[in-house]
Amino acid sequence: MGTVGDDNDHDGHDHDHGHGDAGHGHPHEEIFIADAPGYYDLMETAVRELLIERRLFGADEIRRQIEVLDSRTPALGAKVVARAWVDEGFRRRLLEDGRKGCEELGITFYDDTQLIVLENTPKVHNLIVCTLCSCYPRPVLGLPPDWYKLKPYRARAVYEPRAVLEEFGTRIPDDVEIIVSDSTAMVRYLVLPMRPPGTETMSEEDLGALVTRDAMIGVIPVEYPKEAA
Amino acid sequence: MSSELLVKKLPNDIGGDASGKIERVEHELLPWEKRCHALADVLDFHKIINTEEKRRGVEALGSEMIGKLSYYERWIVAFANILFQKGILTPGDLAIKMEELEARHTSETARAHPNA
Repeated sequence: MGTVGDDNDHDGHDHDHGHGDAGHGHPHEEIFIADAPGYYDLMETAVRELLIERRLFGADEIRRQIEVLDSRTPALGAKVVARAWVDEGFRRRLLEDGRKGCEELGITFYDDTQLIVLENTPKVHNLIVCTLCSCYPRPVLGLPPDWYKLKPYRARAVYEPRAVLEEFGTRIPDDVEIIVSDSTAMVRYLVLPMRPPGTETMSEEDLGALVTRDAMIGVIPVEYPKEAA
Repeated sequence: MSSELLVKKLPNDIGGDASGKIERVEHELLPWEKRCHALADVLDFHKIINTEEKRRGVEALGSEMIGKLSYYERWIVAFANILFQKGILTPGDLAIKMEELEARHTSETARAHPNA
């Protein structure tokens, strides 16, 4: 089973036409609204309406949760990282209890998950994955990118993290240990990247702007000045 | 492959498998995909279907469906199956509702484009 390169998950392939970069913003929705809803689209509406009719929850709860999902972006995680870089007390509390640390900054957890923050150091590099599915620190990073949910990353991150990181352009020296943490339904991870040199005088806000989603997954470092991609 | 491996490793259990190069694909969720995600969260809040039940529900689709359906397609089919198993909905309820929705859409489209 499993031809190399083909995998279990093909989210987005139909719509991406192979260009995977974020920021190509065609308004796909318009096309789909005009079309007849597809089978799974209909199934979603049917299941939702049936459960609302049976009063298991209200339509407003779905609307509210869509707003919650839209409000969660990697900017929240970046704020947490920047605060940890400038506030030693906060850093310690965050490493002790990731969820409480985030809540201190007003980031609410809308689910029952715990958060463990993993600190990168000159000796240790952390990488997060969910081998079984797509568990991800959604309250602080939003929804995961497709590649995080696809087979190549999930299968390989746990046994050849150095090769995986090289595919993201990240070379970790051999004397740095790589720790891969496998997420579960109840326990999620967030990487606290190393603060890049040359940023000593930067404000917390400017530091936050350097921190990317991928750095908090652990596939790239935080860079300053940013290299041209 | 020996059949033993099928017993030991269910379809979701792919950590450690050989696989291809990582393609850094991403896409903005379609409106129905986002609604499906919100539905998943609300089902979890109300303890109707929790995250682990959802994961197992997807796994129970079997490797062929897992391979052919997209991420949120797997979720919504898994939700329907779990709701049937829990006796909250029946396959008949769902089929009738889907037909109604399709008819509703067709009549709305016909009204919007009388010459179409």
